[in-house]
Amino acid sequence: MEFFFQQLTNGLAVGGIYALIALGYTMVYGVLKLINFAHGDLFMIGAYLGLTLLTALGLADHLSPFGVIALLAVMVLALVAILGVVLERVAYRPLRQAHRLSAVVSALGASIFFQNIVMLIYGAKFHVYPHDLMPRTVVHIFGMPVPLIRILILLASVVMMVGLYTFIQRTKVGTAIRAAAIDQGAARLMGINVDRVIALVFVIGPALGGVAGLMVGIYYGQINFTMGWIYGLKAFTAAILGGIGNIPGAMVGGLLLGLIEAFAAAYLSIAWKDAFAFCVLILILIVRPTGLLGERVAEKV
Amino acid sequence: MGKRFITSVAVVFALLLCGQPVVAADTVRVGLMAPLTGAWASEGQDMKQIVELLAEELNNQGGLLGKQIEIIAEDDGGDPKTASLAAQRLANSDVVAVIGTYGSSITEASQAIYDEAKILQVANGSTAIRLSEKGLKYFLRTCPRDDEQGKVAAKTLMDMGFKKIAILHDNTSYAKGLADEAKGLLEKEPVEIVFYDALTPGERDYNTILTKIKAAGPDVVLFTGYYPEAGLLMRQKMEMGWNVPFLGGDATNNPDLVKIAGKQAAEGYYFLSPPVPQDLDSKAAKDFMSAFKQKYNAEPGSVWAVLAGDGFNVLAAAIKGSGSTDTEKMVAYLKTQLKDMPGLTGNISFDEKGDRVGDLYRVYRVDADGKFVLQP
Repeated sequence: MEFFFQQLTNGLAVGGIYALIALGYTMVYGVLKLINFAHGDLFMIGAYLGLTLLTALGLADHLSPFGVIALLAVMVLALVAILGVVLERVAYRPLRQAHRLSAVVSALGASIFFQNIVMLIYGAKFHVYPHDLMPRTVVHIFGMPVPLIRILILLASVVMMVGLYTFIQRTKVGTAIRAAAIDQGAARLMGINVDRVIALVFVIGPALGGVAGLMVGIYYGQINFTMGWIYGLKAFTAAILGGIGNIPGAMVGGLLLGLIEAFAAAYLSIAWKDAFAFCVLILILIVRPTGLLGERVAEKV
Repeated sequence: MGKRFITSVAVVFALLLCGQPVVAADTVRVGLMAPLTGAWASEGQDMKQIVELLAEELNNQGGLLGKQIEIIAEDDGGDPKTASLAAQRLANSDVVAVIGTYGSSITEASQAIYDEAKILQVANGSTAIRLSEKGLKYFLRTCPRDDEQGKVAAKTLMDMGFKKIAILHDNTSYAKGLADEAKGLLEKEPVEIVFYDALTPGERDYNTILTKIKAAGPDVVLFTGYYPEAGLLMRQKMEMGWNVPFLGGDATNNPDLVKIAGKQAAEGYYFLSPPVPQDLDSKAAKDFMSAFKQKYNAEPGSVWAVLAGDGFNVLAAAIKGSGSTDTEKMVAYLKTQLKDMPGLTGNISFDEKGDRVGDLYRVYRVDADGKFVLQP
């Protein structure tokens, strides 16, 4: 029972991060029908920016651990959002009228560009967050020990997902985003500035990815310039699993993927956990081609 | 103004193009195939730094056969596909020999290309057994083979008196080869192998795997993968509050292991490795260490990059000793005449297959300061 519970928390911790990255994929896909392959690299840049700011500003000397993390999160959020807007302006907007494949190729190009620029700036070695940044508090839930930071990561993912969902569903800007997602031409006729809506989507999506990068840096410590690839791939899978374009779907898909991986590794074979996760993905797509929650096409965002 | 500028640029380029072959004829060209980008880029860049430093030193002493040495570096990206392209470019660029590379599967992708072009290849980090079992005449390596390391791993675990052993690899041909070798030998001994499986390299979270190994109840874990994963395993093991000793293979011999794990988590980690130059008191090793520090203001990263330096040294010895850059003569010299040449990692000789001869492996332990301490 303890083994099961341990693996459950392992799976949720990994899944929470997948979910957070998947939110960014889903936002961009919902509006532009574009798979932003550079998203994983924006996530990686978030991790690097967090480390640079942390060491350059010497924050840890002045603030409590949670103050440091909150401040870092805000700064990384802002910087990666700027990068996201620039990315959209340079790599995607000129191709808006072109064939969809061109934009995908441009996204792959942007991904390679980001990876190599980070390697040139920071070097190819692994970088490491300070080890004593977070207090290693352990909480007991039903008598089982769970590291506090895992609960916080999961909580942060849920809060951001709920916040984003409310923003899209309840505000005027959110309505504009939904309108642009359904039909850009019609949205323009209704007086919506579609370019601005798309720019906003590229603020929100990359910002979430950047924060996820920061969390991975703080929790696991080790970052390198290729880390965006594997996380990007998993988060992309999670977004499809939950129904790409659907915000709660990204959350469900991320957590589900984390749990499938953890339990496949625990009860089957570790080496086969990815194969098993992708088998589940294929089975779900056979039964529900739009993913678990992806049925309501009209409200896709 | 604009026109004149363009003309002068064109003239400069034309001169450069004319100049190339003339320069080439006057130098001894040595190829270096290394992972300059990709996941192993830090190893590859260290390899390049070390080989370039040694070439520079030799050039200052007058070069080889009265000619200067020119290093032609190509990036293999740590990837077999990129490596075969790099090998073809090197084979077409008039090199007398090639040093490299790091990963076994990467070297494997390039071996046939060099063999066909009759180019001598000296690999530095490729320890997979089969590389030298194919009967390729022009292939040598300065690193030991996995079966050697597998024997040392099994013996070390037995000597330490462990009874229940978990083996974890990462499905790369190197790590799996080593894990299989050690497993085969340990199965003949009175010990129990309670766990045998592979993790996926490049991930961040190995808690699932550690939880599963812990449930199998081993006395010791043998991890045969690379240092980034070893560092994370040590760190997450400490966070779980689990105190089991780890013995790693030689791919975990990298100072970044301690950086990733943190000193507290890395303390007590054992690994096998050929000795690093820091631990050798031969003159060759000491001179190299001081020259490297002076030029790059750092210590060389891992032993694998240093073995590329030894690859360069044996090539220089072969050209000097055989008095030619003919592949057949150099190979014949290295396999039959070169005996106990003092290298950066100890004395070097080769056997008929092109493998390095002599026992090289030592046991290291990470101490409380994160230093790698050679165990007696």
